[in-house]
Amino acid sequence: MSDTRFLDKGTPPERFARGWHCLGLASSFGDGKPHGIEAFGGKIVVWQDSKGELNVLDGYCRHMGGDLTQGSVKGDEVACPFHDWRWGGDGKCKAIPYARRVPLRARTQKYPTAVRNGQLMIWHDVEGSEADYDILPPELPGVGTDAYTDFTWEVVPITDSHCRELIDNVVDMAHFYYVHFSFPTSFRNVFEGHVATQFMESTGRPDMSGGYGDVDLFLKSEATYYGPAYMINWLDVDYKGFQTEVILINCHIPTGPDSFTLQYGITVKKPEGIDDKTAAYISKKYAEMFGGGFLQDVHIWKNKVPVQNPLLCEEDGPVNQLRRWYEQFNVDKADIHPEMTDRFEFEVDTTKANEYWQVEVAENLARKAAEDAEADKGEGADSDSTPPVMTGT
Amino acid sequence: MASFVPTSADTLEDQRLYTRARLTEVACLDCLATVGVKKNSEHHTSIQWSEDALRACPEFSRMSQRPEGRPVREGCPRMQASIDAAAREGQVPIGAEDGY
Repeated sequence: MSDTRFLDKGTPPERFARGWHCLGLASSFGDGKPHGIEAFGGKIVVWQDSKGELNVLDGYCRHMGGDLTQGSVKGDEVACPFHDWRWGGDGKCKAIPYARRVPLRARTQKYPTAVRNGQLMIWHDVEGSEADYDILPPELPGVGTDAYTDFTWEVVPITDSHCRELIDNVVDMAHFYYVHFSFPTSFRNVFEGHVATQFMESTGRPDMSGGYGDVDLFLKSEATYYGPAYMINWLDVDYKGFQTEVILINCHIPTGPDSFTLQYGITVKKPEGIDDKTAAYISKKYAEMFGGGFLQDVHIWKNKVPVQNPLLCEEDGPVNQLRRWYEQFNVDKADIHPEMTDRFEFEVDTTKANEYWQVEVAENLARKAAEDAEADKGEGADSDSTPPVMTGT
Repeated sequence: MASFVPTSADTLEDQRLYTRARLTEVACLDCLATVGVKKNSEHHTSIQWSEDALRACPEFSRMSQRPEGRPVREGCPRMQASIDAAAREGQVPIGAEDGY
């Protein structure tokens, strides 16, 4: 019995990560109404004031707990639907229309904001530190101009999994084959400071459709987390010889100990000689493809258990080092250990994996061809009896 | 307070094995930087830098002076060459031990 491997699920995390979190496209908050977003175990309110500034406060009024997200915007302030207390973007109560004066202590929690690449970012830290504007994600040159399509933007609430499952994918070479139907031919990671990055070259699996399963699809991808929750993924896509530069934003907001909201957006560099309508169509198609990819992950996450002691083989990526990197956002600033932020480089040897996968795919294709031939021949063969081409996962 | 607390001491030992075991020190042939290296195969490579090593590396210092800053994705070619040389000379054992 002592040889049996024990699955250490660990104890659930008790805090939410420190750092910049993206709430969505800034333009989606500009309608003069308060917007509610589930975040960090509660709810926050977002609104645009008369100067066009976006403000973010805790969603509940410090007076009697009214839900500010169901209130209204009056002047520059958000007004509570319960007793009309007016809250400013600086977190101070500016007015109580029925009262002689505002209590001095009428301050609520405000979140420092920044707009990056047309997206609203907020700083979150349970320790209440000053926002660190030096570690905002970079501005993407050209994005937001006519050279790129407008961002598509999707919001997907995820339950029954902690957002670290999403982070783990940064190092997970083999899941790209099994879950996303592609062959990673080259796979490398670098972690340093607040940045964690993944480089991958892959081709689609010819025996699969859906996900990235397409023999004509070549991807060269650089995916970089800037802090705990915002990833920029630069993709050079080659589809049937047609080259496209795609930028995918993959970000999330933790909402509870085992839930988060995934958000992702796509912008495409408009190819030369292609009109805006076609470019927007291409962008939409890629958004669907990568969106499908996320759904493949979500299905795994919802059904798996958390594992603190993953058992690894030689072809696996550096999941322990990645989690060590991620830990820096989940401890007090004073407890950040140098190992969490020290530079770490890793390159996976994909040779053995690809040898095996090529054989497996060839077998799948041969079986499928035989089955198709059989189905064409015999009248008795009904389509339901054709097993789907699936691997063991 | 860690975000994910393991429930078993074995988990901590696993973490040590995967992050620190079998790291061989490799000194750069061109500067004072020393890194920890692990190679599970000819191609596979882990490189663990420290703050001291990073500071000692003139390539990284040069990259830091770029207006856009040093891109994290870029490694040091001199250190890479030093690691390749150390592996060729048998100073870095090649091969994994039960997956780590």
